[in-house]
Amino acid sequence: MIEIDGSFGEGGGQILRSSLALSLCTGQPFRINKIRAGRDKPGLMRQHLTAVQAAARIGSAGAEGANIGSTELVFTPGKVIPGDYQFAVGTAGSATLVLQTVLPALLTAPGPSRLVLEGGTHNPFAPPFDFLDKAFLPLVNRMGPRVTATLDRPGFYPAGGGRFTVEIKPAKGLAGFELLERGAVVSRRARAAVANLPRQIAERELRVVERRLGWPRECLVVEEAQGSPGPGNIVTIELAHANVTEVFTGFGERFRSAEAVAEAAVEECRRYLGGAAPVGEYLTDQILLPLALAGAGTFRSVGLSRHATTHMDLIAKFLGARVTTKPAGSHADGTIVSIAAS
Amino acid sequence: MAKKRVIIGLLGTTIDAGVAASRWETWRPTVSLCQHEDLLVDRFELLSQQKFAALRKTIEADIATVSPETKVRHHPIEFDDAWDFESVYAALHDFAAGYPFEPEREDYYLHITTGTHVAQICLFLLAESRHIPARLIQTSPPTRSRHQDAGGYRVIDLDLSKYDRIAQRFDQERREGQSYLKAGIDTKNAAFNRLMERIEHVALHSRDPILLTGPTGAGKSKLARRIYELKKQRRQVSGKFIELNCATLRGDAAMSALFGHKKGAFTGAVSDRPGLLREADGGLLMLDEVAELGSDEQAMLLRAIEDKVFLPLGSDKEARSDFQLICGTNRDLREAVRAGEFREDLLARINLWLFRLPGLAERREDIEPNVAFELAQIAARTGAQVRFNHEAAARFRSFALSDEAAWSGNFRDLSAAITRMATLTVGGRITAEIVDDEVARLRAGWSAKSPGGDDDQVLAAALGRKAGEIDLFDRVQLAAVIRLCRASQSLSDAGRALFAVSRQKRSVANDADRLRKYLARFGLDWDQIAADAGE
Repeated sequence: MIEIDGSFGEGGGQILRSSLALSLCTGQPFRINKIRAGRDKPGLMRQHLTAVQAAARIGSAGAEGANIGSTELVFTPGKVIPGDYQFAVGTAGSATLVLQTVLPALLTAPGPSRLVLEGGTHNPFAPPFDFLDKAFLPLVNRMGPRVTATLDRPGFYPAGGGRFTVEIKPAKGLAGFELLERGAVVSRRARAAVANLPRQIAERELRVVERRLGWPRECLVVEEAQGSPGPGNIVTIELAHANVTEVFTGFGERFRSAEAVAEAAVEECRRYLGGAAPVGEYLTDQILLPLALAGAGTFRSVGLSRHATTHMDLIAKFLGARVTTKPAGSHADGTIVSIAAS
Repeated sequence: MAKKRVIIGLLGTTIDAGVAASRWETWRPTVSLCQHEDLLVDRFELLSQQKFAALRKTIEADIATVSPETKVRHHPIEFDDAWDFESVYAALHDFAAGYPFEPEREDYYLHITTGTHVAQICLFLLAESRHIPARLIQTSPPTRSRHQDAGGYRVIDLDLSKYDRIAQRFDQERREGQSYLKAGIDTKNAAFNRLMERIEHVALHSRDPILLTGPTGAGKSKLARRIYELKKQRRQVSGKFIELNCATLRGDAAMSALFGHKKGAFTGAVSDRPGLLREADGGLLMLDEVAELGSDEQAMLLRAIEDKVFLPLGSDKEARSDFQLICGTNRDLREAVRAGEFREDLLARINLWLFRLPGLAERREDIEPNVAFELAQIAARTGAQVRFNHEAAARFRSFALSDEAAWSGNFRDLSAAITRMATLTVGGRITAEIVDDEVARLRAGWSAKSPGGDDDQVLAAALGRKAGEIDLFDRVQLAAVIRLCRASQSLSDAGRALFAVSRQKRSVANDADRLRKYLARFGLDWDQIAADAGE
């Protein structure tokens, strides 16, 4: 039984979700205690419980302590069964985080899967759908499987109610990759989406992008999103290079000006453009786990967050794989992250 | 398996309202309850009127969006005026009565933030009376700085015993209540303290009759008064404390004193008299020596207890009075029922709560605290401190606690003894001599009485209820005569002893005849007394 200190590193929901994902992939049971120990409301909250239940469903697993407020969980996975699943997250919690929990195990499952995920699709503090679709899944697909995601309707805080479908054609095994350079710019696009809000908000946001990034008009798109139950607004900047696509997002909130929302996304994009490392901070967090499952791979990251280091620790625990990091060297920026089976 | 969490709440026809997408930017309490990360609602029982069906459907859909885990069930509820207490209460009561609560499998929360204030009051009352076995849950809007939050919620459990600080207060109140019943005397006798604990609880939780038994002087009527004072302190009585010794009443006078009379009901009834039962309306009536009540009074009293009505003498209109009854007796009422002197149905009615107060001899460890109490009482009354000197205290204690001290008059004896000693002091000191004198006095008193108890008991044994019809002047003499008879072999023996002095002066000895005639005056004869003695 693998023992996990839930208060370690990132110390929140991430360590739990990654443990669930790794447990499903390796068939190893684990016990996690001190779940979210340092948080305002410690223990499992509803969105974490949904992730636990989703993992238990696809992995025919037992989960002791799966209650609201529980600070200890024992998860005993069984057989991973691919197929059609629907998972709904309450409180407009992120549905992409649920996907993150169950996806790795389904990438190499004995059959295809189709997941319908409901809840929030564009939440701050979680990978938004567009990031998943444009930045993360292409890298996953590079490893062998065929995963596609389709947004049926967006869901924003606080109403949620979004939905997307993920089709997974698994691979026999995952192949690692090397990603050290971005390659040439292929496309760039800035999209301001509003749901149940005035179009002018999106137009104001794009004016900021236009001014600050100096991009031509044809790269700027206003979208009036359909089907969202509640109001919502996001600015998504998509930057595709030959080897990697990165997505930067600004989230609209009440009492936050359209300009400030756009500025946040622009600022992230400018920071990325200022360097040469291909893999951004968020993408680093996301790609570590699948790459570790592949057992080999190297990429150059702009830098490691606390989420990333937490991942590395879990990877060592579950897979015995070793993740090494070193500065990219005198003529390049960023950190070289390498994974090797030990 | 964890219990399911079920929320019961009224649709807030104003506060939950909103149709456009902008409704998500306002705080809606019913929806907000399902938006908390740490509160998983398994089921929401939503109560609403038919005319708000459109709003209800929006709310149901919105809950489904933010809380796919929650099942919403609609309960139609109708009232014309949401501010009319009666109809709102009736409608909610109907809901509660028809709802299949399963508290062993589900936890219920009653949402009291929505609905009119009247509806909230009704919900509170239904929860308090456990018609709805739920805790209350109250929601509040988010603060300005966290404007997109679902706001807050608070669970209020009306089971007050679950709150430490409140429970402590109750505990203290209870201890104060018990101490109050004991007149603040720090009694040591465990059985007695348990008894007071029980009486305190019953006194404050019941209005049913209480029957206090125990020997004369055990403090029955004092306790009754203290029960009344305690209830008054806790605002449980509004009327007066009325006390009556039933042994002091006979015939019409008894009926009239208890139940009142109309002017002219009998000779001497020159004006209306309300009677003690009427005076005790809303208060507490203490009937001491209840066994001495006549049969007519017993019948009327039974009715007054059961129906709260009775008929004053000479009146054709029933009078009404609602009082709590405490009865006292030193007799065995079951025995009195068997002897046909006390109504069985009345006994059944008045001894719902039966408490037997022990005599002082049964709780000697309480003598010292009671002595201290008596001295304090005297000090309060006279303004002068009275104390035992060291030796006197030791002597009195050793006597009082010994088996030699019968304390047959119980606290009455103790109180009298302390009062006498306190009166005889010089300079507020009770000396060993004063104690010795008092001990002798007490001994003499008790030996004169024994065997066979005090006069009342002797007379009651010989005459039954008729004992109460005899003047005090005759009672003293008759009791002494009966005692001597019981101790004698024959009527002649008794006669010789009783008339020993005059016998010496007289030539003809007709003592036996004199005694027989004396006894006959009270309806007694030798055989009867001899039979009593032999029992």
